Amino acid sequence: MTSPATGTTTADPPGPSTGPAPGPRPLQRRAQRRRRLFAYGTLAPTLLVVAVLMAYPLYVALDLSLRGGQISDLLDLSGNPYTLGNYAEVLSSSGLLADVVRSVVYTLGVVVPAFAIGLGLALLLNRAFPGRRIIRPLVLLPWAVPGVVVAAAFSWMLDSSYGVVNYLLRTVGLIDENVAWLADSRTALAAVIVPTVWKYYPFFTLILLAQLQSIPAELYEAARVDGASPVRQFRHITWPAIAGASTLAVVITAIGVFREFDFIFPLTGGGPNEATQTLAVRIYTEAFQYFEMGTATALGIVTMAICGFFLLAGGRSIRREFS
Amino acid sequence: MSATALSGGRRWSLLALAVVVTGVLMFPVYWMIMTSLVPSNDLLVAEPPLVPPADSATTEAWTGVIDDQPVGRWLWNSTVTTLGAAIISTAVSTLGGYSLSRFRTAGQQAMGFTLLFSRMLPGTLLIIPLFVLFAGLGMVNNLWSVTLVNIAATVPFTTWLMKGFVDSVPAELEQSAMIDGCGRLRALWYVVVPLLKPGIAATFVYASILTWGDFLFARTLMGDPQGWTVTVGIATFIGEFSIDWSGLMAIGLMSTVPMVLLFIVLEPFLSRGMTAGAVKG
Repeated sequence: MTSPATGTTTADPPGPSTGPAPGPRPLQRRAQRRRRLFAYGTLAPTLLVVAVLMAYPLYVALDLSLRGGQISDLLDLSGNPYTLGNYAEVLSSSGLLADVVRSVVYTLGVVVPAFAIGLGLALLLNRAFPGRRIIRPLVLLPWAVPGVVVAAAFSWMLDSSYGVVNYLLRTVGLIDENVAWLADSRTALAAVIVPTVWKYYPFFTLILLAQLQSIPAELYEAARVDGASPVRQFRHITWPAIAGASTLAVVITAIGVFREFDFIFPLTGGGPNEATQTLAVRIYTEAFQYFEMGTATALGIVTMAICGFFLLAGGRSIRREFS
Repeated sequence: MSATALSGGRRWSLLALAVVVTGVLMFPVYWMIMTSLVPSNDLLVAEPPLVPPADSATTEAWTGVIDDQPVGRWLWNSTVTTLGAAIISTAVSTLGGYSLSRFRTAGQQAMGFTLLFSRMLPGTLLIIPLFVLFAGLGMVNNLWSVTLVNIAATVPFTTWLMKGFVDSVPAELEQSAMIDGCGRLRALWYVVVPLLKPGIAATFVYASILTWGDFLFARTLMGDPQGWTVTVGIATFIGEFSIDWSGLMAIGLMSTVPMVLLFIVLEPFLSRGMTAGAVKG
């Protein structure tokens, strides 16, 4: 964080000795109390949202995940004894590893190309050329398209009989006959990755472009005078300036993609043959198609743990960006 | 802008490159528009036309969808939940971001971490207990429940976003206002908030795009078709046996227009905004 705040009390008239009302102690204490009241008062709405809509549900989910037996009444779990059975079932199920692998493949498959496209576009749009003002909002546009609409558009483009993708690939000779992209378990995962990349790359463009614009032009001029090649300029000027932002954007996006649901479910529902069943999709199917709430919540907690594990494994650079 | 001066030839070749890249990236949007304007029997062929045939292009798909489907209702429901979630999220995260930025006591630090942790909760996990909670309160099939869940989904990120923006406003500004006799709340409202406009725009756009595009929460909490948002309505089209592709693309475009307008209006703020917040935060 590059906050100017280094101490604990930035916005306040500094400490007791130079306070606005250097007087008897009760006054100071009152100022202190009002300060604290304000600090927590402004935080209260956030606290309320997190407590009611995050912490309490998390508690309910944990409780549910620890209940055994057939859950008949979600509002009264007293008949369901505590057990680790759901976790045992989830962790020992043969499909778990495959779900994790699919989630990781999906996440990497989305984040890596989305970042590459986002960075390339940001570098391009940072140059002065005619028409840039029109191009910029255009390339950022996919961000504004709802995920379900993206899914609809791609399910039409990837249609096995009349899809334009098959037609174009046939025309240029890459395929001989139509491929059922979404219905073939060999191509289905790739076919849900492409729309997700399309939706996510603008976020990278937006963040990296803003970051690039904050690099002083003099740095490049000096480098050019010294005869630095564009590659060296990128390595020594551009990349250091955007590395921090890139890490953060990649992590934020990766967490989002890891639990993405809005593309996969409408496109394939997790099929065919579970080829696109990521952890997020499986939690949903367990809960709302099989009504196995205990299994679903246990799986959700496991997913969170996996997410946390990846974050920690991501190392110090990530933690430094966040704290 | 830090863009450097380039010779004429380079500039035009950059433009050419940009046009090609944009052409490829925008193809899905083009194909949606094209599909919505071409009658189905021209589309469902092995070699679909790449440009709308001038003599048969029609707006029938657009009018047809409006006549056959409660599109207006869906769009209205989306608008209500999106406005509600975006306004409340922006207000909550402005206050929260201010608190996180200006006060560094244990409470603020704990909240900062809690918010990061909240982002790791999978939506599909969160929705199960929330479904139970809202069912218990009799709030299933209520647009408020969809709005509230979307607020919860946006606030962890937008609060960090806003914290970054508040960080970039020098604390001395409020201090001098307060020394001049201004209360803390007045200083926040009259001194800090005006300087946070890019951040407020970024937060509002982010929350709007997320809520407008939400499918999971709206689908789970809204069984009643009267309360469907436009994404839930659209999803019912996909996977049908005989999909009306023209109609589906027409309604898809209709559902995108409000977000595009919002985006165009606020985009100038955004590229500044996102860095200050997401990235430094």
